[in-house]
Amino acid sequence: MSEDIFLQTPLLPRIADGDPKAIDECIARYGSLVWSLARRLSSSMTDAEDAVQEIFIDIWKNADRFREDRAGEATFVATLARRRLIDRLRVSSRQVSSQTIDEKNFPIAGPLQTQPVELAEESSRAADCLLGLRSIERSVLELAIYEGLSQGRIAEITGLALGTVKTHARRGLLQLRACMNSRASRLAKEVEMK
Amino acid sequence: MNENSFTDSKRFEELQVGRLLFPLTSEELVEFNELARLRPAEEHDRFAPVVASLDLLCSDMHPELLPEHLRLAVQGQAEQEMASKKAVSLAKPSNITTSKSRTSNGLPWMISAACLLLALTSWLFNPRPIQPETNLDRLRMELLASKEEIVQATWFDGTTPIPNAQGDIVWSPTKQQGYMKFRGLPVNEPTKEQYQLWIFDENQSDSTPIDGGVFDISSEEGVVVPINAKLHVQSAYMFAITIEKPGGVVVSSRERLPLLAKLE
Repeated sequence: MSEDIFLQTPLLPRIADGDPKAIDECIARYGSLVWSLARRLSSSMTDAEDAVQEIFIDIWKNADRFREDRAGEATFVATLARRRLIDRLRVSSRQVSSQTIDEKNFPIAGPLQTQPVELAEESSRAADCLLGLRSIERSVLELAIYEGLSQGRIAEITGLALGTVKTHARRGLLQLRACMNSRASRLAKEVEMK
Repeated sequence: MNENSFTDSKRFEELQVGRLLFPLTSEELVEFNELARLRPAEEHDRFAPVVASLDLLCSDMHPELLPEHLRLAVQGQAEQEMASKKAVSLAKPSNITTSKSRTSNGLPWMISAACLLLALTSWLFNPRPIQPETNLDRLRMELLASKEEIVQATWFDGTTPIPNAQGDIVWSPTKQQGYMKFRGLPVNEPTKEQYQLWIFDENQSDSTPIDGGVFDISSEEGVVVPINAKLHVQSAYMFAITIEKPGGVVVSSRERLPLLAKLE
Protein backbone atom coordinates (compact mmCIF):
# COMPACT_ATOMS: atom_id res chain seq x y z
CA MET A 1 0.00 0.00 0.00
CA SER A 2 2.65 2.47 1.04
CA GLU A 3 4.65 1.50 -2.03
CA ASP A 4 1.90 3.12 -4.06
CA ILE A 5 1.95 6.17 -1.84
CA PHE A 6 5.63 6.73 -2.55
CA LEU A 7 5.53 5.98 -6.26
CA GLN A 8 2.35 7.70 -7.35
CA THR A 9 2.30 11.18 -8.82
CA PRO A 10 1.79 13.86 -6.15
CA LEU A 11 -1.76 15.12 -5.75
CA LEU A 12 -1.18 18.26 -3.69
CA PRO A 13 -0.16 20.47 -6.63
CA ARG A 14 -3.44 19.52 -8.34
CA ILE A 15 -5.35 20.30 -5.14
CA ALA A 16 -3.61 23.66 -4.91
CA ASP A 17 -4.83 24.30 -8.47
CA GLY A 18 -8.40 23.55 -7.41
CA ASP A 19 -8.84 20.17 -9.13
CA PRO A 20 -11.80 18.55 -7.30
CA LYS A 21 -10.91 15.05 -8.56
CA ALA A 22 -7.59 15.28 -6.74
CA ILE A 23 -9.45 15.78 -3.46
CA ASP A 24 -11.17 12.38 -3.74
CA GLU A 25 -7.91 10.72 -4.78
CA CYS A 26 -6.11 12.35 -1.86
CA ILE A 27 -8.69 11.09 0.65
CA ALA A 28 -8.44 7.61 -0.87
CA ARG A 29 -4.63 7.65 -0.85
CA TYR A 30 -3.98 9.13 2.59
CA GLY A 31 -7.20 8.42 4.48
CA SER A 32 -5.82 5.25 6.02
CA LEU A 33 -2.54 6.91 7.06
CA VAL A 34 -4.30 9.87 8.67
CA TRP A 35 -6.86 7.65 10.38
CA SER A 36 -4.15 5.38 11.75
CA LEU A 37 -2.26 8.36 13.17
CA ALA A 38 -5.39 9.96 14.59
CA ARG A 39 -6.39 6.77 16.38
CA ARG A 40 -2.98 6.38 17.92
CA LEU A 41 -2.72 9.97 19.08
CA SER A 42 -6.27 10.68 20.23
CA SER A 43 -7.92 9.98 23.53
CA SER A 44 -11.18 8.68 22.10
CA MET A 45 -12.83 7.66 18.85
CA THR A 46 -14.77 10.95 18.74
CA ASP A 47 -11.58 12.87 19.24
CA ALA A 48 -9.91 10.89 16.45
CA GLU A 49 -12.79 11.62 14.07
CA ASP A 50 -12.64 15.33 14.84
CA ALA A 51 -8.88 15.28 14.37
CA VAL A 52 -9.12 13.60 10.93
CA GLN A 53 -11.38 16.38 9.71
CA GLU A 54 -9.03 19.05 11.00
CA ILE A 55 -6.03 17.32 9.43
CA PHE A 56 -7.61 17.19 6.00
CA ILE A 57 -8.51 20.87 6.26
CA ASP A 58 -4.84 21.49 7.03
CA ILE A 59 -3.90 19.44 3.97
CA TRP A 60 -6.20 21.41 1.66
CA LYS A 61 -4.97 24.70 3.09
CA ASN A 62 -1.29 23.78 2.90
CA ALA A 63 -1.37 22.03 -0.47
CA ASP A 64 0.38 24.94 -2.17
CA ARG A 65 3.27 24.73 0.32
CA PHE A 66 4.25 21.20 -0.75
CA ARG A 67 7.60 21.05 -2.57
CA GLU A 68 8.35 17.71 -4.15
CA ASP A 69 12.09 18.35 -4.16
CA ARG A 70 12.18 18.78 -0.36
CA ALA A 71 10.15 15.80 0.88
CA GLY A 72 7.85 13.10 -0.40
CA GLU A 73 4.15 13.83 -0.38
CA ALA A 74 3.40 11.04 2.10
CA THR A 75 6.03 12.45 4.45
CA PHE A 76 4.50 15.90 4.09
CA VAL A 77 1.02 14.58 4.89
CA ALA A 78 2.22 12.46 7.82
CA THR A 79 4.11 15.41 9.32
CA LEU A 80 1.14 17.73 8.93
CA ALA A 81 -1.12 15.15 10.56
CA ARG A 82 1.22 14.50 13.46
CA ARG A 83 1.68 18.21 14.13
CA ARG A 84 -2.04 18.76 14.27
CA LEU A 85 -2.55 15.78 16.57
CA ILE A 86 0.21 16.79 18.96
CA ASP A 87 -1.11 20.33 18.94
CA ARG A 88 -4.58 19.06 19.83
CA LEU A 89 -3.07 17.18 22.74
CA ARG A 90 -1.21 20.30 23.82
CA VAL A 91 -4.31 22.49 23.61
CA SER A 92 -6.58 20.10 25.43
CA SER A 93 -3.81 19.19 27.91
CA ARG A 94 -4.98 15.65 27.59
CA GLN A 95 -2.33 13.05 27.95
CA VAL A 96 -3.01 9.87 26.01
CA SER A 97 -2.43 6.86 28.18
CA SER A 98 -3.02 3.21 27.57
CA GLN A 99 -5.83 3.28 30.14
CA THR A 100 -7.84 5.85 28.22
CA ILE A 101 -7.94 3.77 25.10
CA ASP A 102 -10.40 0.97 24.59
CA GLU A 103 -7.90 -1.60 23.43
CA LYS A 104 -10.52 -3.86 21.95
CA ASN A 105 -11.85 -1.25 19.57
CA PHE A 106 -8.66 0.69 19.44
CA PRO A 107 -5.87 -1.79 18.74
CA ILE A 108 -2.40 -0.47 19.31
CA ALA A 109 0.48 -1.39 17.06
CA GLY A 110 2.96 -3.72 18.69
CA PRO A 111 6.71 -3.82 18.22
CA LEU A 112 7.91 -4.59 14.74
CA GLN A 113 8.62 -8.24 14.19
CA THR A 114 7.69 -8.78 10.58
CA GLN A 115 10.35 -8.50 7.93
CA PRO A 116 9.55 -5.36 5.96
CA VAL A 117 9.68 -7.07 2.59
CA GLU A 118 6.59 -5.42 1.19
CA LEU A 119 7.24 -1.96 2.54
CA ALA A 120 8.25 1.00 0.51
CA GLU A 121 11.92 1.75 0.47
CA GLU A 122 11.85 4.63 2.93
CA SER A 123 9.73 2.81 5.47
CA SER A 124 11.87 -0.26 5.00
CA ARG A 125 14.98 1.79 5.80
CA ALA A 126 13.25 3.18 8.89
CA ALA A 127 12.36 -0.34 10.06
CA ASP A 128 15.90 -1.61 9.56
CA CYS A 129 17.43 1.37 11.31
CA LEU A 130 14.99 1.09 14.20
CA LEU A 131 16.11 -2.49 14.76
CA GLY A 132 19.68 -1.23 14.94
CA LEU A 133 18.99 1.03 17.94
CA ARG A 134 19.75 0.12 21.55
CA SER A 135 16.71 -1.63 22.94
CA ILE A 136 15.87 1.12 25.46
CA GLU A 137 15.97 3.83 22.78
CA ARG A 138 13.90 1.67 20.45
CA SER A 139 11.34 1.03 23.22
CA VAL A 140 11.00 4.72 24.03
CA LEU A 141 10.43 5.59 20.36
CA GLU A 142 8.01 2.72 19.81
CA LEU A 143 5.99 3.69 22.87
CA ALA A 144 5.94 7.33 21.81
CA ILE A 145 5.31 6.86 18.08
CA TYR A 146 3.41 3.59 17.73
CA GLU A 147 1.42 3.81 20.92
CA GLY A 148 1.18 7.58 21.25
CA LEU A 149 2.06 7.53 24.95
CA SER A 150 3.02 10.62 26.92
CA GLN A 151 6.46 11.11 28.44
CA GLY A 152 4.96 10.45 31.86
CA ARG A 153 3.44 7.13 30.83
CA ILE A 154 6.65 6.04 29.12
CA ALA A 155 8.57 6.89 32.29
CA GLU A 156 6.11 4.80 34.33
CA ILE A 157 6.26 1.81 31.97
CA THR A 158 10.03 1.79 31.49
CA GLY A 159 10.97 2.93 35.00
CA LEU A 160 13.09 5.73 33.52
CA ALA A 161 13.20 9.27 34.87
CA LEU A 162 11.23 11.80 32.80
CA GLY A 163 14.40 13.57 31.67
CA THR A 164 15.94 10.26 30.63
CA VAL A 165 12.92 9.48 28.44
CA LYS A 166 13.51 12.74 26.57
CA THR A 167 17.22 12.00 26.24
CA HIS A 168 16.60 8.51 24.84
CA ALA A 169 14.01 9.84 22.42
CA ARG A 170 16.44 12.47 21.17
CA ARG A 171 19.38 10.08 20.89
CA GLY A 172 17.20 7.47 19.20
CA LEU A 173 15.95 9.92 16.58
CA LEU A 174 19.46 11.30 15.98
CA GLN A 175 20.76 7.78 15.32
CA LEU A 176 17.78 6.87 13.17
CA ARG A 177 18.29 9.96 11.07
CA ALA A 178 21.99 9.26 10.63
CA CYS A 179 21.32 5.63 9.75
CA MET A 180 18.57 6.45 7.24
CA ASN A 181 20.66 9.19 5.58
CA SER A 182 23.63 6.86 5.31
CA ARG A 183 21.55 4.10 3.73
CA ALA A 184 19.92 6.56 1.34
CA SER A 185 23.36 7.84 0.24
CA ARG A 186 24.61 4.29 -0.24
CA LEU A 187 21.57 3.45 -2.35
CA ALA A 188 22.03 6.60 -4.43
CA LYS A 189 25.64 5.62 -5.13
CA GLU A 190 24.60 2.10 -6.13
CA VAL A 191 22.03 3.54 -8.55
CA GLU A 192 24.68 5.87 -10.02
CA MET A 193 27.09 2.97 -10.56
CA LYS A 194 24.45 0.98 -12.45
CA MET B 1 31.34 26.11 19.21
CA ASN B 2 31.31 27.30 22.83
CA GLU B 3 29.66 25.51 25.74
CA ASN B 4 26.56 27.71 25.65
CA SER B 5 25.85 27.17 21.99
CA PHE B 6 26.37 23.42 22.42
CA THR B 7 23.87 23.38 25.29
CA ASP B 8 21.43 25.46 23.25
CA SER B 9 21.74 23.11 20.27
CA LYS B 10 21.11 20.08 22.44
CA ARG B 11 18.16 21.78 24.09
CA PHE B 12 16.79 22.82 20.70
CA GLU B 13 17.00 19.22 19.53
CA GLU B 14 15.19 18.08 22.66
CA LEU B 15 12.43 20.58 22.07
CA GLN B 16 12.15 19.55 18.41
CA VAL B 17 11.77 15.94 19.49
CA GLY B 18 9.24 16.98 22.12
CA ARG B 19 7.30 18.98 19.56
CA LEU B 20 6.96 15.91 17.35
CA LEU B 21 6.34 13.25 19.98
CA PHE B 22 4.88 14.88 23.08
CA PRO B 23 2.94 18.10 23.56
CA LEU B 24 5.26 20.89 24.69
CA THR B 25 4.23 22.98 27.70
CA SER B 26 3.54 26.68 27.14
CA GLU B 27 6.97 27.51 28.61
CA GLU B 28 8.70 24.97 26.35
CA LEU B 29 6.86 26.36 23.36
CA VAL B 30 8.10 29.86 24.16
CA GLU B 31 11.62 28.46 24.59
CA PHE B 32 11.37 26.61 21.27
CA ASN B 33 10.24 29.76 19.48
CA GLU B 34 13.06 31.78 21.02
CA LEU B 35 15.70 29.25 20.00
CA ALA B 36 14.11 28.83 16.56
CA ARG B 37 14.39 32.54 15.90
CA LEU B 38 18.16 32.23 16.10
CA ARG B 39 18.36 29.39 13.58
CA PRO B 40 17.54 28.95 9.88
CA ALA B 41 14.11 27.46 9.11
CA GLU B 42 15.56 24.23 7.73
CA GLU B 43 16.93 23.42 11.19
CA HIS B 44 13.53 23.62 12.89
CA ASP B 45 12.20 20.27 11.79
CA ARG B 46 15.22 18.04 11.51
CA PHE B 47 13.48 14.97 12.88
CA ALA B 48 10.14 15.30 11.10
CA PRO B 49 11.06 13.08 8.09
CA VAL B 50 12.34 10.30 10.38
CA VAL B 51 9.21 10.32 12.51
CA ALA B 52 7.04 10.48 9.38
CA SER B 53 8.79 7.35 8.03
CA LEU B 54 7.96 5.52 11.24
CA ASP B 55 4.37 6.73 11.08
CA LEU B 56 4.10 5.42 7.52
CA LEU B 57 5.65 2.17 8.58
CA CYS B 58 3.17 1.77 11.43
CA SER B 59 0.26 2.58 9.13
CA ASP B 60 1.52 -0.06 6.68
CA MET B 61 1.86 -2.73 9.31
CA HIS B 62 -1.62 -2.08 10.69
CA PRO B 63 -3.69 -0.77 7.79
CA GLU B 64 -7.12 0.59 8.68
CA LEU B 65 -9.61 2.06 6.25
CA LEU B 66 -11.04 5.48 6.90
CA PRO B 67 -14.67 4.91 8.00
CA GLU B 68 -17.18 5.74 5.28
CA HIS B 69 -19.08 8.38 7.29
CA LEU B 70 -15.82 10.13 8.05
CA ARG B 71 -14.73 9.98 4.41
CA LEU B 72 -18.01 11.64 3.42
CA ALA B 73 -17.57 14.33 6.08
CA VAL B 74 -14.03 15.06 4.89
CA GLN B 75 -15.25 15.20 1.30
CA GLY B 76 -17.99 17.67 2.28
CA GLN B 77 -15.47 19.86 4.05
CA ALA B 78 -13.19 19.78 1.05
CA GLU B 79 -15.98 20.99 -1.21
CA GLN B 80 -16.64 23.86 1.20
CA GLU B 81 -12.96 24.71 1.32
CA MET B 82 -12.69 24.75 -2.48
CA ALA B 83 -15.86 26.86 -2.70
CA SER B 84 -14.54 29.36 -0.15
CA LYS B 85 -11.26 29.65 -2.06
CA LYS B 86 -13.25 30.52 -5.16
CA ALA B 87 -15.38 32.99 -3.16
CA VAL B 88 -12.29 34.72 -1.79
CA SER B 89 -10.85 35.04 -5.27
CA LEU B 90 -13.99 36.95 -6.26
CA ALA B 91 -12.97 39.66 -3.85
CA LYS B 92 -9.55 40.15 -5.44
CA PRO B 93 -8.88 43.34 -7.39
CA SER B 94 -8.47 41.40 -10.66
CA ASN B 95 -12.17 40.64 -10.59
CA ILE B 96 -13.35 44.21 -10.14
CA THR B 97 -14.34 44.50 -13.81
CA THR B 98 -16.72 41.56 -13.50
CA SER B 99 -18.24 43.13 -10.42
CA LYS B 100 -18.74 46.45 -12.13
CA SER B 101 -20.44 44.90 -15.11
CA ARG B 102 -22.82 43.04 -12.81
CA THR B 103 -23.55 46.25 -10.99
CA SER B 104 -24.48 48.19 -14.11
CA ASN B 105 -26.65 45.39 -15.47
CA GLY B 106 -28.69 45.07 -12.33
CA LEU B 107 -28.46 48.60 -11.00
CA PRO B 108 -32.06 49.06 -9.79
CA TRP B 109 -31.97 45.73 -7.98
CA MET B 110 -28.61 46.48 -6.45
CA ILE B 111 -29.74 49.90 -5.20
CA SER B 112 -32.85 48.54 -3.51
CA ALA B 113 -30.89 45.62 -2.06
CA ALA B 114 -28.20 47.96 -0.78
CA CYS B 115 -30.81 50.25 0.83
CA LEU B 116 -32.48 47.28 2.47
CA LEU B 117 -29.12 46.05 3.65
CA LEU B 118 -28.13 49.46 4.94
CA ALA B 119 -31.33 49.67 6.97
CA LEU B 120 -30.79 46.17 8.32
CA THR B 121 -27.17 46.89 9.14
CA SER B 122 -28.06 50.12 10.93
CA TRP B 123 -30.67 48.29 12.93
CA LEU B 124 -28.39 45.46 13.88
CA PHE B 125 -25.12 47.21 14.40
CA ASN B 126 -25.93 50.82 15.23
CA PRO B 127 -24.06 52.97 16.19
CA ARG B 128 -20.81 51.64 14.75
CA PRO B 129 -20.40 50.31 11.21
CA ILE B 130 -18.70 46.98 10.80
CA GLN B 131 -14.95 47.37 10.81
CA PRO B 132 -13.48 43.86 10.52
CA GLU B 133 -14.08 41.19 7.89
CA THR B 134 -14.87 43.78 5.23
CA ASN B 135 -14.39 41.22 2.45
CA LEU B 136 -16.80 38.85 4.12
CA ASP B 137 -19.29 41.65 4.56
CA ARG B 138 -19.00 42.46 0.87
CA LEU B 139 -19.48 38.79 -0.05
CA ARG B 140 -22.52 38.70 2.22
CA MET B 141 -23.92 41.78 0.50
CA GLU B 142 -23.30 40.21 -2.90
CA LEU B 143 -25.14 37.11 -1.79
CA LEU B 144 -28.08 39.16 -0.52
CA ALA B 145 -28.17 41.14 -3.74
CA SER B 146 -27.91 38.09 -5.97
CA LYS B 147 -30.88 36.63 -7.77
CA GLU B 148 -30.49 33.39 -5.85
CA GLU B 149 -33.17 32.23 -3.44
CA ILE B 150 -32.01 33.50 -0.05
CA VAL B 151 -33.25 32.64 3.41
CA GLN B 152 -32.63 35.00 6.29
CA ALA B 153 -33.37 34.85 10.00
CA THR B 154 -32.55 36.85 13.11
CA TRP B 155 -30.74 35.35 16.09
CA PHE B 156 -32.72 35.03 19.32
CA ASP B 157 -31.87 33.66 22.74
CA GLY B 158 -31.04 29.97 22.95
CA THR B 159 -31.17 27.77 26.05
CA THR B 160 -28.15 29.52 27.62
CA PRO B 161 -28.54 33.08 26.36
CA ILE B 162 -25.82 35.72 26.29
CA PRO B 163 -27.20 39.19 27.10
CA ASN B 164 -27.11 41.62 24.15
CA ALA B 165 -25.92 39.01 21.63
CA GLN B 166 -27.73 39.63 18.35
CA GLY B 167 -27.37 39.43 14.61
CA ASP B 168 -28.71 37.45 11.69
CA ILE B 169 -27.99 34.60 9.33
CA VAL B 170 -28.20 34.59 5.54
CA TRP B 171 -28.19 31.34 3.59
CA SER B 172 -28.44 30.44 -0.07
CA PRO B 173 -29.77 26.88 -0.53
CA THR B 174 -28.76 26.82 -4.19
CA LYS B 175 -25.24 28.12 -3.66
CA GLN B 176 -24.88 26.30 -0.34
CA GLN B 177 -23.27 29.45 0.97
CA GLY B 178 -24.14 31.78 3.75
CA TYR B 179 -22.96 34.23 6.38
CA MET B 180 -23.68 34.94 10.00
CA LYS B 181 -23.56 38.38 11.54
CA PHE B 182 -23.04 38.89 15.25
CA ARG B 183 -22.88 41.75 17.65
CA GLY B 184 -22.41 41.38 21.38
CA LEU B 185 -21.18 37.79 21.20
CA PRO B 186 -18.17 37.58 23.54
CA VAL B 187 -14.68 37.24 22.07
CA ASN B 188 -13.57 33.65 22.62
CA GLU B 189 -10.15 32.26 23.47
CA PRO B 190 -9.65 29.76 20.58
CA THR B 191 -7.34 27.53 22.59
CA LYS B 192 -10.03 27.08 25.24
CA GLU B 193 -13.33 27.09 23.36
CA GLN B 194 -14.86 27.87 20.00
CA TYR B 195 -18.29 28.65 18.66
CA GLN B 196 -19.92 26.09 16.40
CA LEU B 197 -22.90 26.44 14.06
CA TRP B 198 -25.47 23.66 13.63
CA ILE B 199 -27.93 23.56 10.74
CA PHE B 200 -31.23 21.76 11.30
CA ASP B 201 -32.45 20.28 8.05
CA GLU B 202 -35.96 18.97 7.41
CA ASN B 203 -34.42 15.89 5.85
CA GLN B 204 -32.16 15.21 8.83
CA SER B 205 -33.00 14.04 12.33
CA ASP B 206 -33.09 16.79 15.00
CA SER B 207 -30.57 14.82 16.99
CA THR B 208 -28.00 15.02 14.19
CA PRO B 209 -28.03 18.54 12.77
CA ILE B 210 -25.46 19.38 10.12
CA ASP B 211 -22.18 20.78 11.39
CA GLY B 212 -21.94 24.34 10.06
CA GLY B 213 -18.31 24.79 11.13
CA VAL B 214 -16.46 26.20 14.09
CA PHE B 215 -15.53 29.86 14.29
CA ASP B 216 -14.05 32.50 16.53
CA ILE B 217 -15.36 35.92 17.51
CA SER B 218 -12.62 38.52 17.32
CA SER B 219 -14.70 41.54 18.24
CA GLU B 220 -17.96 42.18 20.08
CA GLU B 221 -18.62 45.21 17.90
CA GLY B 222 -19.80 43.30 14.86
CA VAL B 223 -18.38 40.46 12.82
CA VAL B 224 -19.35 38.47 9.74
CA VAL B 225 -18.58 34.77 9.71
CA PRO B 226 -18.92 32.47 6.68
CA ILE B 227 -20.95 29.29 7.06
CA ASN B 228 -18.95 26.15 6.48
CA ALA B 229 -21.55 23.36 6.23
CA LYS B 230 -19.94 19.94 6.30
CA LEU B 231 -22.78 18.29 4.40
CA HIS B 232 -25.22 19.36 1.70
CA VAL B 233 -28.08 21.29 3.29
CA GLN B 234 -31.36 20.46 1.57
CA SER B 235 -33.96 22.37 3.53
CA ALA B 236 -32.75 24.28 6.55
CA TYR B 237 -35.35 25.37 9.07
CA MET B 238 -33.30 26.32 12.13
CA PHE B 239 -29.74 27.31 13.03
CA ALA B 240 -28.10 27.04 16.43
CA ILE B 241 -24.83 28.30 17.90
CA THR B 242 -23.16 26.21 20.58
CA ILE B 243 -19.92 26.71 22.48
CA GLU B 244 -17.60 23.75 22.23
CA LYS B 245 -14.05 22.64 22.84
CA PRO B 246 -11.39 23.89 20.37
CA GLY B 247 -11.94 22.37 16.95
CA GLY B 248 -15.62 21.72 17.67
CA VAL B 249 -17.38 18.40 18.07
CA VAL B 250 -19.12 15.89 15.83
CA VAL B 251 -22.14 15.63 18.12
CA SER B 252 -22.91 18.49 20.50
CA SER B 253 -24.16 17.97 24.03
CA ARG B 254 -25.90 21.36 23.58
CA GLU B 255 -24.98 22.32 27.13
CA ARG B 256 -24.09 25.83 26.00
CA LEU B 257 -26.42 27.06 23.29
CA PRO B 258 -26.55 30.88 23.32
CA LEU B 259 -28.25 31.59 20.00
CA LEU B 260 -30.95 30.19 17.74
CA ALA B 261 -32.41 31.38 14.44
CA LYS B 262 -35.60 29.97 12.95
CA LEU B 263 -36.91 30.36 9.43
CA GLU B 264 -40.61 31.24 9.38
